[in-house]
Amino acid sequence: MQQIDLARSAFLFLPLFLLGLLILPGRAALRIIAALVLAALIGWGLPQMLDRGTLTYLVSFSTMAGIYAILSLGLNSQWGLAGHVNFGVAGFFAVGAFTSALFTTTMPEGALAAYSQQAFGLQWPFLGGVIMAGILAAIVGFFISIPVLRLRTDFLAIATLGIAEVIRFIFQNERWLANGPQPMRGIPRPLDCLFKDPACSWLPPGAAEFLEPLSPRDYVFFYLIVVSLILAVVFIALERISRSPWGRMLRAVRDEENSASMNGKNVFWRRIESFVVGCFIMGVGGAVYAHYVVSIDYSHFNPLFATFIIWVMLMLGGSGNNKGAILGAFAVWGVWSGAAFMIDIASPALQLISDDLPTRGAYLRWMLVALLLGVIVLYRPQGILSERKKVSDFMTDDDEPQ
Amino acid sequence: MALLEVRNVTAGYGDTEILRDVSMEVGEGEMVTIIGPNGAGKSTVMKTIFGLLHPRTGSVHFNDEDISALQPYQIVERGMCYVPQVSNIFTELTVSENLEMGAFLAKKADIEARKERIYEYFPRLKERRHQRAGKMSGGERQMVAMGSALMLDPKLVLMDEPSAGLSPKMVGVIFEQIEKINKAGPAILIVEQNAQLSLQMSDRGYVLASGENRFEGTGQGLLDDPEVGRLYLGG
Amino acid sequence: MSMHDVADDTAPRHDDRTGRERILAALRSRITLATALALTLVVFWLLGYRQGASGSDLLSLTIWGVMLGGIIALGAIGLTLVYGVLKFPNFAHGELVTFGTYGTFTIAALLPTGAALRPFSFGWELMVGMILTMPLVTLVALAVDRVLFRPLRARGAELVLLAMASLAASFFLRSVIYLIWGSDFMFFYPGRANPILTLPLNIRIQGDQIFVLVLAAILVALTWILLSRTRMGKAMRATANNPDLAQVRGINTERVIAATWALGASLAVAGGVMYGLASQLRPEMGWFLLLPMFAAVIMGGIGSPVGAIVGAIIIGIAQQVSSSFINPAYGPGVSFILMVVVLVLQPMGLFGQKGD
Repeated sequence: MQQIDLARSAFLFLPLFLLGLLILPGRAALRIIAALVLAALIGWGLPQMLDRGTLTYLVSFSTMAGIYAILSLGLNSQWGLAGHVNFGVAGFFAVGAFTSALFTTTMPEGALAAYSQQAFGLQWPFLGGVIMAGILAAIVGFFISIPVLRLRTDFLAIATLGIAEVIRFIFQNERWLANGPQPMRGIPRPLDCLFKDPACSWLPPGAAEFLEPLSPRDYVFFYLIVVSLILAVVFIALERISRSPWGRMLRAVRDEENSASMNGKNVFWRRIESFVVGCFIMGVGGAVYAHYVVSIDYSHFNPLFATFIIWVMLMLGGSGNNKGAILGAFAVWGVWSGAAFMIDIASPALQLISDDLPTRGAYLRWMLVALLLGVIVLYRPQGILSERKKVSDFMTDDDEPQ
Repeated sequence: MALLEVRNVTAGYGDTEILRDVSMEVGEGEMVTIIGPNGAGKSTVMKTIFGLLHPRTGSVHFNDEDISALQPYQIVERGMCYVPQVSNIFTELTVSENLEMGAFLAKKADIEARKERIYEYFPRLKERRHQRAGKMSGGERQMVAMGSALMLDPKLVLMDEPSAGLSPKMVGVIFEQIEKINKAGPAILIVEQNAQLSLQMSDRGYVLASGENRFEGTGQGLLDDPEVGRLYLGG
Repeated sequence: MSMHDVADDTAPRHDDRTGRERILAALRSRITLATALALTLVVFWLLGYRQGASGSDLLSLTIWGVMLGGIIALGAIGLTLVYGVLKFPNFAHGELVTFGTYGTFTIAALLPTGAALRPFSFGWELMVGMILTMPLVTLVALAVDRVLFRPLRARGAELVLLAMASLAASFFLRSVIYLIWGSDFMFFYPGRANPILTLPLNIRIQGDQIFVLVLAAILVALTWILLSRTRMGKAMRATANNPDLAQVRGINTERVIAATWALGASLAVAGGVMYGLASQLRPEMGWFLLLPMFAAVIMGGIGSPVGAIVGAIIIGIAQQVSSSFINPAYGPGVSFILMVVVLVLQPMGLFGQKGD
């Protein structure tokens, strides 16, 4: 095994371990051991089985799917837990992405300032940016939720869709804020010195030597760890929340809005809190996205990529189920990415139908995802994994209502 | 053979069974009252007859035809109309438009003549024909609801608590009209809280309790029955 | 609620609301809403004036606003009827607009090109194309209803699922539009002159804009006649008002629903063609109109065609006049803000009805 593959294996260990913990059944102690063993085996095996290009593709696929999983979890804490129909995920996603970018980049100076404008650039570290992204998205969500959450579901859907569009208009048109219609570039990647030559100065020589064969192209191996950890934190937090009295109350409100609203004021604030929590997570998702793609502009946060597809993910995986939200994100991102290959392969056939069709193949993917949502809504609205009703540890599995 | 026959009907919503083995019949031109305590399933009987709810077992026959599986509009075509207890008018439409909607299945040319006939029953509606129905008083609304149901000259009219929420004076007016309508032809099956008044006018009556038939007899017979009186007439 | 509905007016009503509740209720009345909207427009005119727009500029902007309002109204009438009858917000309505525009474009291109009907920029073939496209887009709407909405309706699905289904339909139809016509902007008559006329009071307006204004007015009037004079129109209003009772009265609601789709789709085609004449054809055009359309529907009150027209005109004027003092790109944002104001003050809108 070459050193480069070994180094890549090392990076795969943690994400695989977390994945193992998520999907393996059984008791905690056993699960940890099993996940450790499996992660080591698979992490070691994968670079041997796959060629380097394929493995890199797989890792960047998982990174993107993981980012979508964060967004999908955010949406689940609104829709799955409290029944808020937020058709404006894109807005909070965008606020998070641009906030983190503004907090972590350097203010352009000199000649550059003429081409690239932004409100400020504070050079904060990555984590600071991520937290600020969550906080700002939550603040925006809070101010929006007060007038909007009193409304009927259908008004909420329309209003949130509008909010997302307005936020997108702002990032498109306000040059001073985040470089207007031009992309905001140079968003720093955390610890990207690991993959540079010479590597970060603080690294012990042994580690630097170990990482030496890796090039900046392999950065995504590290970023997958970042995404996995953030995803794990969000997942655990949401699992706790949904089993807490707060979460149980929200579900009760969602299912029986009339009876639970007997103590109205209380319920209203709980509903606002759940909306704000979801916005915070979406903001974090935006930040994680921004630092991954390095350069962002308003067009990334369109209703298709940043709202619609996330709804399809959550609906497919299973509304109300956090594991489902993650599963849905990977599955739909798989369909979306896989469709690109299929369309490439089918392109000679498409050419026969019309000369224009192969160049418009991308829209076949839209169609596919739209069809997928249609099929889910018609045939399995509860998704693959339906909601776990077990909300108390005092309930045994037999008590679970069907 | 009776006009309407409900044969051993069991019906309900979701997991809950509301009617159990209910049977009743209404003959041509008869007036029949169903009484019973709250939650006895009186409104459910109406909905099941009218196709808004389909029986699980048993069947509903109208004019010797099994109508258990038909949709409401098909039942209306066959000559039965229904006056629900609440939201029984189109509040956004005028009185005259409400009546027209009652005759959606009639020929266009007849509509004016049909409306005139309804105005004979309820002259007050003629005065107010261009008014939005939602702006009218409770009694007038009830007139609009009954008038719309009579537009197609039905053989049978189902009325769900026509006196609910009305002032005593208005109750008298409405019942007078019901009697007049019944005399003019259609059979009437009526669910009423105001059991005394309704039974007095009725040819026959049924007492429903917990979703089952309890008593049946002539209107006066039920009023005189000491047990019915004690249990269901509050006297 | 129902007790109040059937209460005889001889029964005395007690008003036991506290003073604060009364003030809130007054704030949320329709009159307050109407006043707030009128004030907003006045403030917009004043802001425009302060930014140096002349009186005749503002008058032109207002007339353009009415024209834009007419376009929005044509979409919004269909949207509000479908919303009223089927009880869900149809997020795919914008795509019916887009389909109508591109369909008209294609059919008009198949017809022999006639000379421009001066002072307009288009020839008769565009009008023929538009009329031929209406039944086609109706078919599209009916097909979507049959495949998607009707099964959900039959199952008594929640509003959220229907809304989600319509979002899926929106993206599906848009992908079809992209696949057939591509993503480039198009014009009905590229390069054809569209002279600006100067009317009295120094109002500058294009021939096409006058046409849009007049046609929108005609179609709106025809729709009003249809809804208030024909039996099917009344049945649509009745079904929107009280779908359960419509069924009880013997109205075949599925037929009413089909008629509603036909009317909504046809008006969407007209709206789209006029929007295409006023700007250009692009696959996202319907989606961009969706927010103003929803704003008009909510402002007017769901299910009320008259409300949708009034709402659309207010929004059209607000969007155009606001362009004299803020970046015109925020037009849809302005309509969104107005919508939120309506939702906060009076979610029933100007002409809406209380739910039964």
